[in-house]
Amino acid sequence: MSADGPTRTTLGIAGVGAYVPRLYLPASAYREAWGNGGAPGVERVAVADADEDTLTMATEAGQRALRAAGVDAGDIDHLALATTTPPNDEEESAVRLASLLGVGPSVPTRQFSGSTRAGAVALAATSEATQNVGDGASSPALVVVADSPRGAPESDEAAGAGAGAAALVLAEDGPLVVDAVGEFGDPAPGTRFREFGSAETESIGVTQYERDAYTRAVAGAVEALGVDAAELDPDAVALTAPDGKLPYRAANALGVEPARIAAGSVVSRTGDAGAAGPFLGLASALDSAGDAGGDESDGQSPATSVLLVGYGGGAGATALVLSTGVSDAASAASATSATSAVPVEAALDGDVELTYAEALRRRGTITGEEPAGGGAYVSVPAWKRTIPQRHRLVAGECTECGALSFPPEGACAECGALAEYDDVTLPGTGTVEAATAIGQGGAPPEFVEQQQRAGSFPVAVVAFDGPGGEGGEADGRAVSAPAQVVHSPAGTPAIGDRVGAVPRRIYEQEGVVRYGFKVVPIAARR
Amino acid sequence: MRDAYIVGAGQSKYGAFPDESYRSLFATAFEEALGSAGGVEAADIDEAVVGSLGVGGRQLGLSGPAVTEHVGLHGVPCSRIENACAASGYAVRQAVQAVKSGMADVALAGGYEVMTDMSGDVAKYWLGVSGETEWERLTGTTFAGVYAQMASAYLDAYDASPDHFSKVAVKNHANGAKNPKAHLGFECSLDDARSAPVVADPLNLYHCCPTSDGAAAVLVASEDVASACDDAVRVAGVGAASERVGLFQRDSYTAVESSERAAAAAYEMAGLGPDDVDFAEVHDCFAIAELLAYEDLGLCERGHAPKLVDSGATELGGELPVNPSGGLKSKGHPIGATGAGQVVEAYKQLAGRAGDRQVAGANVGLTHNVGGSGGAAVVHVLEGGAL
Repeated sequence: MSADGPTRTTLGIAGVGAYVPRLYLPASAYREAWGNGGAPGVERVAVADADEDTLTMATEAGQRALRAAGVDAGDIDHLALATTTPPNDEEESAVRLASLLGVGPSVPTRQFSGSTRAGAVALAATSEATQNVGDGASSPALVVVADSPRGAPESDEAAGAGAGAAALVLAEDGPLVVDAVGEFGDPAPGTRFREFGSAETESIGVTQYERDAYTRAVAGAVEALGVDAAELDPDAVALTAPDGKLPYRAANALGVEPARIAAGSVVSRTGDAGAAGPFLGLASALDSAGDAGGDESDGQSPATSVLLVGYGGGAGATALVLSTGVSDAASAASATSATSAVPVEAALDGDVELTYAEALRRRGTITGEEPAGGGAYVSVPAWKRTIPQRHRLVAGECTECGALSFPPEGACAECGALAEYDDVTLPGTGTVEAATAIGQGGAPPEFVEQQQRAGSFPVAVVAFDGPGGEGGEADGRAVSAPAQVVHSPAGTPAIGDRVGAVPRRIYEQEGVVRYGFKVVPIAARR
Repeated sequence: MRDAYIVGAGQSKYGAFPDESYRSLFATAFEEALGSAGGVEAADIDEAVVGSLGVGGRQLGLSGPAVTEHVGLHGVPCSRIENACAASGYAVRQAVQAVKSGMADVALAGGYEVMTDMSGDVAKYWLGVSGETEWERLTGTTFAGVYAQMASAYLDAYDASPDHFSKVAVKNHANGAKNPKAHLGFECSLDDARSAPVVADPLNLYHCCPTSDGAAAVLVASEDVASACDDAVRVAGVGAASERVGLFQRDSYTAVESSERAAAAAYEMAGLGPDDVDFAEVHDCFAIAELLAYEDLGLCERGHAPKLVDSGATELGGELPVNPSGGLKSKGHPIGATGAGQVVEAYKQLAGRAGDRQVAGANVGLTHNVGGSGGAAVVHVLEGGAL
């Protein structure tokens, strides 16, 4: 590229992460329970576990995107979170997301909500905000979209409700850039909304009105791109998908082949993932394009263009053209061939099938709350002091003897010195040293609701690897901490099993969710 | 320092007593202790030290004076020790120190708890308050879970099976069935113990002790006082030690270092060793805890506890009876009363007053009381027929 004059740098997608919960409810189970129904075009819906929510899923997706891109969380300079279902209506989840991921405290965080097009809006806004005019270097940005919509149990919204999160790292060398943005808004009240204070998304149920609102908004946003969709001929079209049929109704209006919509959709496998839907579709399109790349004719770059459209009830849509080129005609010629596939790390498919009753339990639809009698009281300020440990496994290295302590406080367990500790972030892998599974009646009160939702849970003492990695032997150090074990198919894990940390809700008290780490057996990790 | 003697000891029945208060239970224990002594009157008591875990939240502060004033020890200085399940074992130790130092000629040690008149969830809260709260408990464990983790490590390290836990339950229930004060004073079969519902894998319900209401009281006195009493048991050795509260913070999950240290100190003071012990009351809050106690107390080598159980040596009538009272498993576990209650049993055994469960020829007895999963431990070596 020419160095003459000021250059405008737009960050491109350098890595994609996706996380869909491993629990799923097959459409057949829904039909069996209700005698009919189910969401059109949806084979299964993903179900968040009792200790998962949009923030934990966002963290899982964000971690995967960072790994895929090869970018350290500490280098991220802009963080956006989009979700219609944040854990709290008020209190910014993006701040906790930054902490869970290890993104620095002075990094701008932006949270987008209120509509299932929030993800598309977040991507457009982040792309705009991080444009660098001049010759300064641009730092990478992270856009995370997570959703877990709900509906009243008997509603269409509940029938299709899925869950999932996707994340994009935007960086200077990212091959896929936001090439054009189109917006459209036209009031269509009642098409998809959630009343103030309600957890359940609903619609007025006037079928043709709602279909028209969707098609009009999507087509309107694409038209506003100023690019002919048919001419653009994107490899994939990733649309917000409240069910598995609606996106195809937009195919005609857009003038694209249904196959392109299929290439950008995973709704049949995840259910309605709200704002995250089109981003999961994008992840899938880039992933399968990458996989299929070897079968394509030589020299052809995979997924050189994706049309992503976020639609939100009410109604509005935001369309983005993601391409390996730039729209600026003058530079288009020079920006084409040097592209490579966007690295993707995605866990899109569940592997644990639930019955309908189990799904209701996991979602908390039919379970109670923390019983009276009081749980252990760890004050919120006390919890806050341990956030570096809970969120990022920050251990302490004794300045006297070098041994690791977790949590890093009090006298060193190795040398007994009441010395200072240097922060050491553990890699999160470890080995089970002792383990149990807490049966019915064995859980403290603040974990009773979790047990009602998800049943018996294993708990292990884990020797976490030191910064040197596996086994702790690598640099002779490991440090022990207790942790619940998620998804242990064999029940109580065996001593010696390898595990890895995952972000989870630990418990909720005083209306405040406490997030921390649990571990998953490496053998069962997705 | 001069010697100290147990000159009287008594306890309430352990169990579920909705009609009793912690004060009335303590009064029952106190009266039995005083009655057993002969030669000591309430007015002789110079000092009182009692243990309780806050009476399950009913009286977090000043429950000590509440019980001593209730039994008429008006004005006697009373302090309460909190060391979780080891509270009253430590109270006995404090009373012994008071007598040995010469500050008191007669000291009362005791403990009390009321646990059964609350919902299961509230009880679980109180059982959990002595664990390491911020990390260990917030993985969803109470003590059953933590001891189960120790059990898992033990099963992995040594030639042992959950059947050994069941055998401990069968043995302790057989003993408790002979103890009229026992909470669960019935026998259980090995099949019962094997097939109970899982509480925290690998521990099932029969591998866990109950929570109980109850109180215990022990009179500790100088030699002068003791010589006038019906029976006097010499406190030959006392040892106590602390350990990191959370299991994950420890060097070993298959040994309780505080128990080892407490036992070593008690043996050293007594000039006796494990071979001299005729019976032991050990802290079997969970069956694995009894196996660990065998090893921590030096009653057998590391890893040999299952063999010791298999041999029958720790049964009543065996070479080294353990928990002739029924232990925490069958006699019951009124948290704050448990440690003093063990000394009550040792006193009865050494005074030849243990009835159907009398250990023949008992001369040296050991009591072992643990707080939490090992954060505190206290061991007494007691010698009968010394005066």
